Amino acid sequence: MSLKKIFIILFIFYSFQFFNYNSFSVEPDEILQDQKLELRARNISKKIRCMVCQNQSIDDSVAPLAKDLRILIRNKILEGYSDDEIFVYLTDRYGDYILLKPPFKLSTLALWSLPFVFFMIGIFVIFFHNKKSKKEY
Amino acid sequence: MKKKITIIPLIIFLFILSIFFYLLIIDRDISRLPSNLLDKKVPSFETKSILKNENFISTDEFGNEKVLVNFFATWCKPCRDEHKYIKLFSDKEKIKIIGINYKDNRKKTMEWLNDLGNPYSNIAEDKKGKIAIEWGVYGIPETFVINSQGIIKYRHVGPITNKVYKKINLLIREIE
Repeated sequence: MSLKKIFIILFIFYSFQFFNYNSFSVEPDEILQDQKLELRARNISKKIRCMVCQNQSIDDSVAPLAKDLRILIRNKILEGYSDDEIFVYLTDRYGDYILLKPPFKLSTLALWSLPFVFFMIGIFVIFFHNKKSKKEY
Repeated sequence: MKKKITIIPLIIFLFILSIFFYLLIIDRDISRLPSNLLDKKVPSFETKSILKNENFISTDEFGNEKVLVNFFATWCKPCRDEHKYIKLFSDKEKIKIIGINYKDNRKKTMEWLNDLGNPYSNIAEDKKGKIAIEWGVYGIPETFVINSQGIIKYRHVGPITNKVYKKINLLIREIE
């Protein structure tokens, strides 16, 4: 088998790994009986950062604090909290950092807008460069 | 004009590079996160007291004097390491210290305190880690400085070292 073929097989294999979203750490005793509520809890958990691991959501993390937060979210859902109320409850205690997706507000304006600014600068530079080089020919 | 245009991306690149370099060399710990509870009132809670034969009611403990709140557990090695400083706060600085015993065993805690000495005026039991979540705690030991109005003024994540001890001491003198 040529090196190229091996590379292609490995690429396909790891691509499948990349699209595999089934890894989660929810333990059987945590799962809610009502499937709809459980799905809500899972969706919230996927957006909450594990403060111990910091680059994982609490849905993926096996840290004890992540488990505590998963249970807390399920308890809040059973108490009748809305999704937004749960996010507010968590950010009141842990700050915006606990959200994996930072909210759009004045302090995060640069974070959200700079990619577009750089993108526009890039387009401008390319456009300007092309115009110039056309003239030279 | 052409030269000007080509030099702009280079300047931007060097600017970004210098920001990264600055963040790399300054003394900071990226794993330490600021508390969202700073300058806010202490969370109110009620639980069992480890030291007394009555419930621990937070509203009775805070708001009268400066208090140090220390989240600890007997299974946590850094908590043992920082214990001598917690004792210093109590013995030397005469500041009131509230312990919050995180996911621990009451009997083991009493043995631990008998061995190492007890700097705490009262200890709240946090069997399931719910109080820790109320305080935004994400790993013990954590220590909070509360002023006499019951407002959280400082939070330290991790064990107290000599450097942190001095810093907290200065802060205690500054706050009211």
